Amino acid sequence: MREFLLESPLTPEFLTFLKSFGTVKEYPHMKRPYFSFEQEYFITLKGFIGDPGVEVRYRKEFFDLTSDYFHLLLFYAKQGESGIHKMQEITDSIREKMNVRLPPQGRV
Amino acid sequence: MGNEPDNPPLIYLNNAATTWPKPLSVLDEVTRCMKAPFFEAGRSTAGAATDYPSETRRALAGLFHAEHPDHFIFTQNATDSLNLLIHGFVKKQKASFHAITTDLEHNSILRPLNALAGEGRLSLTTVPSEDGYATLREIKKAVRPETRLIVMTHGSNVLGTLQNIQTVADYCARNDIFLIVDGAQTAGQVPINLSSLSSGAFVFTGHKALFGISGIGGFYLNDPEAIAPVRQGGTGTDSRSLVQPDEMPQRFEAGTHSYPGIASLLAGIRFIEREGQDRITTKGRDLAALFIREIANDPNIILYTPSPDLPVISFNIRNLDNDDAGYILAKAYNIITRAGLHCAPLVHDRIDGGKGSIRISFSYLNTPEECRAAGEAVRGVAEGANH
Repeated sequence: MREFLLESPLTPEFLTFLKSFGTVKEYPHMKRPYFSFEQEYFITLKGFIGDPGVEVRYRKEFFDLTSDYFHLLLFYAKQGESGIHKMQEITDSIREKMNVRLPPQGRV
Repeated sequence: MGNEPDNPPLIYLNNAATTWPKPLSVLDEVTRCMKAPFFEAGRSTAGAATDYPSETRRALAGLFHAEHPDHFIFTQNATDSLNLLIHGFVKKQKASFHAITTDLEHNSILRPLNALAGEGRLSLTTVPSEDGYATLREIKKAVRPETRLIVMTHGSNVLGTLQNIQTVADYCARNDIFLIVDGAQTAGQVPINLSSLSSGAFVFTGHKALFGISGIGGFYLNDPEAIAPVRQGGTGTDSRSLVQPDEMPQRFEAGTHSYPGIASLLAGIRFIEREGQDRITTKGRDLAALFIREIANDPNIILYTPSPDLPVISFNIRNLDNDDAGYILAKAYNIITRAGLHCAPLVHDRIDGGKGSIRISFSYLNTPEECRAAGEAVRGVAEGANH
């Protein structure tokens, strides 16, 4: 688990981007608008919209593949539709490497 | 985030894991211990320093009404104690036997027992609890002719229920069954009278309600012969002998003690004596009751023990993972709780389908104001999750 303090606060647009890659849960009526994101085997995120702090958790067995994944999400989120496409290619590439390690019935 | 000026002051409610803050007298004693040259008879020629191990054994005997101060053994923590006792008991047995535990237990009990069961050293029955209590009736149902060991908690670290150990201890004494009681959640929190536990062992840790620092714990053993030592090494005594001394406490203690840990434990016990054990117990129950009044009527909060005996309260919030609730409480309200399984997986299978819970646990040093603030925060999170 790592906590990052980003240069700028997390935005609703970033959450919209995340929805292409996993499950986003939003709780806008909390004291601070809270969200969590989970992409199985990749990462989970917790944070507040409008806040620069974010908690990132990785699966230990895939950390070598996913340690940069959050930063890639942040980078490609700024590129709109083309960013989604590029990020999807990266995700697929990582997933292929994960599947080599996973048993056949657990492949993603 | 916790240091932002608009954030409320930190409220620490994870005392069932480790109490914080510690009394100032504990911090002072640790500093005093570290400033003095190391002293222990047989291990150092430094004089005029406090013999912390001996003094602390006497203090423990006073607090827990135990007959033999030297039968208190220092370990790293309750987990370490339970491992020494469980493995030591098994080592003493000539053949495989039957052991009983309950579904309330911490992994510090479940894992050693299941490891030994996996090796064929014992067979294990886990009895179900009823509303957070392990009853003698259920335990008796599980007893077989070859039952030799029962290991169970004195107080649930998830539900805050206090188990009726005396009835189990009396039954064990009558039936030649060794009883190991895990007092991790009760030592320092409620009065304990070891003179009425005629057989078996009582386990404690220093870093919870005894207000010591982490890294110090122990156990009390009435009959040292019931347990085989599983560690050997230097004791500072009888050094020419190549076998571990049989006398207590050296029979179970090898190597240099954690002096700062023992010093903190001594100061923690002195703090409890000054404040009064009964007062500490009462305040814990009052804080728990106050917090429960704050949240009990909220339909979006699922409370697992409406009236706990210890200041330990587990709950969940509808439509919100406990992990998310813990994060929101920490980051948006500056309230430290604990979320998840609390190292006691079987009890969660019974109460929440194995998903875990949010646990709030108070110490004597928490205030009613903190309690109300926590109640308000939890209600706020429940409202936010169900808007």
